[in-house]
Amino acid sequence: MAIFEARNIQKRFGAHIVLENISLSVETGTVHGIMGPNGAGKTTCFHVLTGYHAADAGTITFDGRDITGLKPHRIARLGIARSFQMMSLFDDAAVVENVMLALPAFRTKSASAFARVFDDARLRSAALAVLDQVGLAERAWEKAAALPYGDRRALEIAVALAAEPKILFLDEPTSGLGTDATRRLARLIRDLRQRYTIVLIEHDMAFLFELADRISVIHWGQVIAEGTPSALKANKWVARSALGEVA
Amino acid sequence: MLDLLPHIINGLTLGLLFALIALGFTLIVGVMEVINLAHGSLFALGAYLALSTIGADWFADTGFGTWWLGLSLEIRYALALVAGPILAGLAGMALEVCLRPTYGKAPLYGLLLTFGAALVIEELIRLGWGTGEQSMPVPQMINGAFWMAGLIFSKYKVFAAGFAILVILAIWLFLEKTPYGAIIKAGSHDSEMIRALGHDLGRLRLLVFGLGAAMAGLAGVIMAPIWGLRPHVGIDVVIPAFLIIVVGGVGSFWGAVIAALLVGLSVGISGAYAPAWSMMSMYLLLIAVVGFRARGLLGRKTALEA
Amino acid sequence: MITLSDIPARAGSPGTPAMVLFLALIATAPFWLEAIGLYDYLGIEIAIWILFALGFNLLFGYTGLHSFGHGAYLGTGAYAFGLFQHHVALSLWGGLAVAVLAGALAGALVGACISHRRGIYYALMTIGFGQVFWFSAIKLHGLTGGEDGLLGIPRPDLVLGPWRVDLDDNTAFFWFVALLLGLAVVGLWRLVTAPFGRVLQAIRQNETRARFIGYDVWRTKWIAFTLSAAFAGLAGGLFAMAQESAYPDVMSLHQSGLIVMMVLVGGGLVSFWGPVLGVVLYFIARDVLGGLTETWLLWYGLMFVVMVMLRPEGLAGMLHTLRPRRPNAPIASLSAAPRQEPG
Repeated sequence: MAIFEARNIQKRFGAHIVLENISLSVETGTVHGIMGPNGAGKTTCFHVLTGYHAADAGTITFDGRDITGLKPHRIARLGIARSFQMMSLFDDAAVVENVMLALPAFRTKSASAFARVFDDARLRSAALAVLDQVGLAERAWEKAAALPYGDRRALEIAVALAAEPKILFLDEPTSGLGTDATRRLARLIRDLRQRYTIVLIEHDMAFLFELADRISVIHWGQVIAEGTPSALKANKWVARSALGEVA
Repeated sequence: MLDLLPHIINGLTLGLLFALIALGFTLIVGVMEVINLAHGSLFALGAYLALSTIGADWFADTGFGTWWLGLSLEIRYALALVAGPILAGLAGMALEVCLRPTYGKAPLYGLLLTFGAALVIEELIRLGWGTGEQSMPVPQMINGAFWMAGLIFSKYKVFAAGFAILVILAIWLFLEKTPYGAIIKAGSHDSEMIRALGHDLGRLRLLVFGLGAAMAGLAGVIMAPIWGLRPHVGIDVVIPAFLIIVVGGVGSFWGAVIAALLVGLSVGISGAYAPAWSMMSMYLLLIAVVGFRARGLLGRKTALEA
Repeated sequence: MITLSDIPARAGSPGTPAMVLFLALIATAPFWLEAIGLYDYLGIEIAIWILFALGFNLLFGYTGLHSFGHGAYLGTGAYAFGLFQHHVALSLWGGLAVAVLAGALAGALVGACISHRRGIYYALMTIGFGQVFWFSAIKLHGLTGGEDGLLGIPRPDLVLGPWRVDLDDNTAFFWFVALLLGLAVVGLWRLVTAPFGRVLQAIRQNETRARFIGYDVWRTKWIAFTLSAAFAGLAGGLFAMAQESAYPDVMSLHQSGLIVMMVLVGGGLVSFWGPVLGVVLYFIARDVLGGLTETWLLWYGLMFVVMVMLRPEGLAGMLHTLRPRRPNAPIASLSAAPRQEPG
């Protein structure tokens, strides 16, 4: 059952067509990868799929309903969460607050002028539980801006997780990470796949091929190939768009 | 329709002077990505300094002063036309130095600083020259009116328009044809690249701010007989300047000129129907344009867009 | 370095040392103001502007939206109060209610036009709207009295059950203002330490991420603007009573800029109490320094420029660095073992 489907998405900026005809279909409970060379439109694709940019043409369906053209905050509330490649955190706030803000339980109280925040035990334990998943529980009370790079990446994902999504869009989560951190991230994603559907943009081919169930290859604004990792290894289009050898 | 002609010409003249202001403003925005809220105060400062140059305000008692006042108004005016902008340019450079600690921080700080500088400059003007409105003496040959095609035209406004056109062309030549102009143009595209190419970014910024301030000061000197000299004219200059670069496109030379003419025309023509509200039309235009279409006709995305 | 995003030491409770000190000071001001060489009316002015400044900082410091035209809403409240007394009824609470509503309405209308932006474009639009309000106040002579102002605004008596308090007496009026200010400050403190206040700060730090975790950023920005304008309206109504008149100049860019300067200098960007310090400093500069030299505003402006260059965290930030601190402490005393952990 496809939980998320995009059909014939087109996006242009001025005269420049960035996405020409993107279609993809993500099955519930799977990890769906998106790859392609730089400038192929991967991040724009993410932006359109998650509502940051409105598509010029095409439809997007999530969990059976048409979400084309909805604003980002509405899409987020429906259960779609994303992380950002250029990390997008609340730098002045504590790590725990970054996560708390994303909790639906917090958000529903957000118009309140009287509810408690940091001394609300349920909110705090929920936030700490999420931080535990990504290994940041000990740094919960530090300022987000003070975290080292790898931990910021982890926080980036934690914020997306805190929103209790049904589907998680991760934009190049291994960006800038060393081998150790990448391995830990792979382990985290393997944990997460048991509870979430995941869509993953990645440059690190080995990482993607190891984790993804299906991969869409985007080049020149189109999906030039789509399939399981093993099928793609044999695909000549993939090889031709110089995506390199994958061991 | 012919009744509108004087207003149209007024509007075009105003537009040319707005163009001068806006070009200086956009140079500063381009190279430093700073919205110079003190631009209007520099405009006023240039005018007041020119006034003092003509009247030998601070050195009237000296031997030099007496000799100076003996010169004809034409000569003194011509020299004031140079001195006012140069002094305003120096003030602009001082402002650039003050802005340095804010580079690299959020745009708020630059905005606040130029806002504070505007207040400081206006207070200095008020303390130096008083709050009352003053008038700029103008040489006989460009003063008064003349007839043409059955309508009265102001000699001064023709002079103002003509002079503005010359200065605009001179600036254009400078930017297009000289090597330093090329560096400035490159700097408004990519200031980091300038450094990489070996040019002194600090000195470039200093000069560009000085040039922009001088242009504002020059516009101030020329506009003084038309608008009058008041210390608090500042915001009536900054808002049109900002509006013009938004409409014409941040960083675009001819976009700024065309937009300036359009804005000047709209003020001039609205002056025909509701003179009391003509300045307000500018604020409403600003709200409409910035509210809906902030990238302008010919501009590029800059750090202004957040 | 402190920031507004620090986790408050006693989350939410207004019983902080600073709050107690502040409330004590305003409750007793008439007793010590003259002893330090100041006067009752100054106390009234300071209290009114603190009210304005704290409401303004909700937008400026907390939400990070920089309005350079907020005087328009103070002025709207002032005129609304005056016009109500003149044309509808002589009523204290009626007038103040109308002042608040008028400020809020004006803020809601303007806010609806600008809340999709932020940064420099937002700031310039607030200037544009401020000028439109100011210009209208001058031109709509029949309504506002134009440059001559709306004169003869009364101070209606305060009627509480059997008591009738004449507010023409400056001391009595001061206590009335102080009462409203006290309530407002406690209310604002609760607001900024509640979820709403944290969301405002999230929006200041990262609008995009806030959207993507489900917040309706436009609406929250709009609410923040409207609320700050409502506070401005209330301050305006009180100001009209204090001056017994209303003039367009309070809507001018000059005045709107003053509140921005006061808030920054005081440290509104890093502390809830920054605006209070800023307002007090401004009025001391105006009255004390102004008594010594005509050029006081020039010095104030220069000080502002230097502070933006070197100490944008303002007075509150600078005072904070003077306190002894443990190095490398997590940002609040809530550290790793927060209080009230059940089980």
